[in-house]
Amino acid sequence: MANPENTRPKISITQYRIALRVLIETFKGMKQAGIVNIFIIGTMAAILMIFGAIFRTSLSLGTIVSELGNVLEISVYLKQNADPNEAAAEIRQMPHVRRVQIIAKENSWDDMKRQMNLPSIKNPLPDALHVRVDDQNYIKQVANNLESQKYVSDLRYAQDIAEKIRIVSDISHTATVIILAVVGFLTMFIINNTIQLVIQSRKKEIEIMRLMGVSNWFIRLPYILQGSLYGIMATIIAIIPLSFLQGYILQVHQFLGLPNSEDSYWAMIFVLFSMSIIFGALGSLLSIKNKLKT
Amino acid sequence: MINLRGVNKKYKNTFALKNVNLDIQKGEFVFLVGSSGAGKSTLMKLLYREELPTSGNVYISGVDVSKLPDNKVPYLRRNMGIIFQDYKLLEKQTIYDNVAFVIRALGVSSREVDNRVKSALKIVNLGHKMKSKPNELSGGEQQRVGIARAIVNGPSLLIADEPTGNLDPQTSLEIMEILDKINSRGITVLISTHDHAMVNHFRKRVITLEGGQVVKDVQAGTYG
Repeated sequence: MANPENTRPKISITQYRIALRVLIETFKGMKQAGIVNIFIIGTMAAILMIFGAIFRTSLSLGTIVSELGNVLEISVYLKQNADPNEAAAEIRQMPHVRRVQIIAKENSWDDMKRQMNLPSIKNPLPDALHVRVDDQNYIKQVANNLESQKYVSDLRYAQDIAEKIRIVSDISHTATVIILAVVGFLTMFIINNTIQLVIQSRKKEIEIMRLMGVSNWFIRLPYILQGSLYGIMATIIAIIPLSFLQGYILQVHQFLGLPNSEDSYWAMIFVLFSMSIIFGALGSLLSIKNKLKT
Repeated sequence: MINLRGVNKKYKNTFALKNVNLDIQKGEFVFLVGSSGAGKSTLMKLLYREELPTSGNVYISGVDVSKLPDNKVPYLRRNMGIIFQDYKLLEKQTIYDNVAFVIRALGVSSREVDNRVKSALKIVNLGHKMKSKPNELSGGEQQRVGIARAIVNGPSLLIADEPTGNLDPQTSLEIMEILDKINSRGITVLISTHDHAMVNHFRKRVITLEGGQVVKDVQAGTYG
C-alpha cells in the first residue's frame, strides 16, 4: 500500500497534476452542460454587448465634453448695424480677453458658398468676432459680459455646447453604472443557476470526492473556472459587434477633430473581460459554496 | 487508533449516542453491531467527520477529529477508506475510473494511478472487469469496486457502514473475506452490521450498541 502522506500536495509536480485535473474537470462540466452552454454564452454575450455599447458611448461623450471644455474661444455674432471694429476694440478692454479676431460677414459668406455650393443670394450672415479668453474658468463670465453688450446679437461657445453634452454624458454615465449592476446581477444569476444544474447532475461525484478526502477547493475550482470561461467566451462574442461600433465612433471622432479613441476601446474590452470573469466566478462560487459542507 | 471519550450525539431531543467510550487498536478487525437506530451509522459518521459530537472527544491516531479545522478534514479522510451500503459508484464511469478518480484528484501521477488501481482491483478479484460499467456488475462485484476505491489510497483505517446490507449471504461472505484479507495487511477494519451470521462466522471483536450506548464489547464475540 502506498503511504497516504505521499498524497499531500508537497511538490510542484503534484500541484501541476492537480491543476491539470482541475482543467479536465472544468471541461467535463461544460461537456455535461451540453446545449445549455450555448444558451448561457449567447445570453451573456447579448447582455455584455448592450453594456459595452453604452459604456463605450459614455466614454466617447466624456471625451467630447472634456475636449469642448478646453476650447477657449467664443463666437460672437453682431447685430446688422454694429461696427465690428468698434465692438472688437471695446471687447479687447474686457478682463480675461486675450485676443479678438474679426470675421467679416463677406468672408464668412464666401466660405459658406464655396463649401455648400449655394446660389447667389443676399448675404444673410452677420459680422462675427472670435473672442479668445486667457483661462477656461472665465469663459462663462466673459460670455455673460458679452451677452449684455448692445451690439451683440448672439454668441456661441464650446463650453455652452459642452454643458448640453455633459447632461447627456451624465445620463449615460448613470446608465452605465445602473446597467453594470444589472449586468452583474444577471450574469451571476444565469451562471449560478447553470452551475447549480451541473452540480445537481454531479451530486454523487461531489459527495464521493468529499468523503474520500478531496479538498473542497479542488471540488470548487472547476465550477468557478466554468463560470469564468462562460464570461470569457461571452465577452469574445460581444466584442465582435462592439468593434463595429468602435469603427463608427472613430469616424465621429475624426469628424469632430477629437483625439483618437483607441484607449477607450481597450478600456471597454478590459472592463468587459474583468466583470464577466469576476461575476461568472462569483456566480459559480455562490452556487457551490452552499452545496459543500466539510 | 480509534478512541472515543464520553461521546454524546443528540439530534433535537433524541440521543443517537450516549456517553460512548471506546478504544480500537491499530490492526484490529471490529464488528459494530446493533439493531436499526442503535447509533452505528452515527458513530461511523463521527469517525470520518461527517457529523460532530454534541459533546466528548473522537480521536483518530491521536488527533481529536471533533476539533479538527474544516480545511484539515480532507487530510483525515485521505488516511481512511470508507465503504457504503449503497456502493456510491459513478454509473457512467468504468470500474477503473471509479477507483482512479479520487487519487487522480489528489495529484497522483498517471503511472502511479495505474499501478494502484490495478493492485486494488486485484485484491478484490476484479482485475478482469476494469473496463466494465457498474450496471454491468452484480451487487457483490459493485461492493468490491467500493472496497477497491476505499483502499486505493493506502488507508490505515477502513470504515464500512453496512457493507453487506444489500447482498445475499454467499456474496456477503465473499465481501467479508476480502475485508479480512485487507485487515491481514495491517489495516484497521471497523464494520457496522446487523448480519448475525456473518459476525458469528468470523468470531472477531464485537461491540454492541443499544439505544446509543455500548452495552457489550467482546473479543471473538458473537451477535444475537
